[in-house]
Amino acid sequence: MEPSEDDISPAEALALIERERANLVRDIRPDPRLMYWPWGFAWLICFSLFFLRYGPGGRIYVDLPEWLPLVAMLVLFVVAGLVTGVAGSKPMRRTSGPGAWSGRAYALSWSLAFASLSVLFSRIGGHLPEQQTGLLWAGGMVALTGALHMAGSAIWQDRELFALGAWTSVINVAGIIAGPGWHSLIVAILGGGGMILAGALGWRQLR
Amino acid sequence: MTESPDLDPVIHAQARLRVVSALSVLNEHDKITFPVLQDSLRMTAGNLSVHLRKLEDAGYVEVTKTHQGRTPATLIRLTRRGRLAFEEYTAALRALLEPGAST
Repeated sequence: MEPSEDDISPAEALALIERERANLVRDIRPDPRLMYWPWGFAWLICFSLFFLRYGPGGRIYVDLPEWLPLVAMLVLFVVAGLVTGVAGSKPMRRTSGPGAWSGRAYALSWSLAFASLSVLFSRIGGHLPEQQTGLLWAGGMVALTGALHMAGSAIWQDRELFALGAWTSVINVAGIIAGPGWHSLIVAILGGGGMILAGALGWRQLR
Repeated sequence: MTESPDLDPVIHAQARLRVVSALSVLNEHDKITFPVLQDSLRMTAGNLSVHLRKLEDAGYVEVTKTHQGRTPATLIRLTRRGRLAFEEYTAALRALLEPGAST
């Protein structure tokens, strides 16, 4: 045994272990704020715009240009996708092995699944009334987001991520049943809010 | 630690305990690149290399030299044996803190 500098108490040694583990977790895991907040705020802002322009029963609360909610959504989603793409690739750049592969496969699953639904909804959306088309797109994408969060929780053994996915799925169903307009409001406040909360909680755990 | 005859001498050295603690975060079979580990531990490259060699000699870590694109890269992972030693070490520390708790 090497004396002198290694003369620390068991309590100090356990504290040292926890400190180094926490340091490495911070160094190789994505920042939860960068993973959740861009999407949380994107949902909050764009679905609020949808609610204000295309309210329940076709009501217009604020007379925004017709194109504004959709354009805002596209722009915010592209920005959020870029931010989470870069932040989420951190573990893959810093480690290698099955864990890095899981991350890559998970990222591809998001892109491919969203592309599949987009093609399907574009094809059948034209045959539905405008309000129903909006509900189809929003409800489908939110359902997919909830499902992928729950699947991600199975990969990373992350209970908070499962809770977020289950929450997103439940409020989505509630919104779909409530109908167009209400769905936008519910997803904006409870869905976007849920992701902002998840980012804050995850960040607090990592600090 | 004075009254610790049962503690594994390989990871009882503070620097190596820090290395093994950090590596224990990774899942089995996952590897970390040398510079990231060095950064996280705030050690010099030379110092870290020395301790990694001792851990490698004990069969606790596996060091792989590879190429990422065209740049050479060194990847490190904790072996099953290393993880077991780390778990036994932390269990022994806890037992020292709460004598009688684990017996």
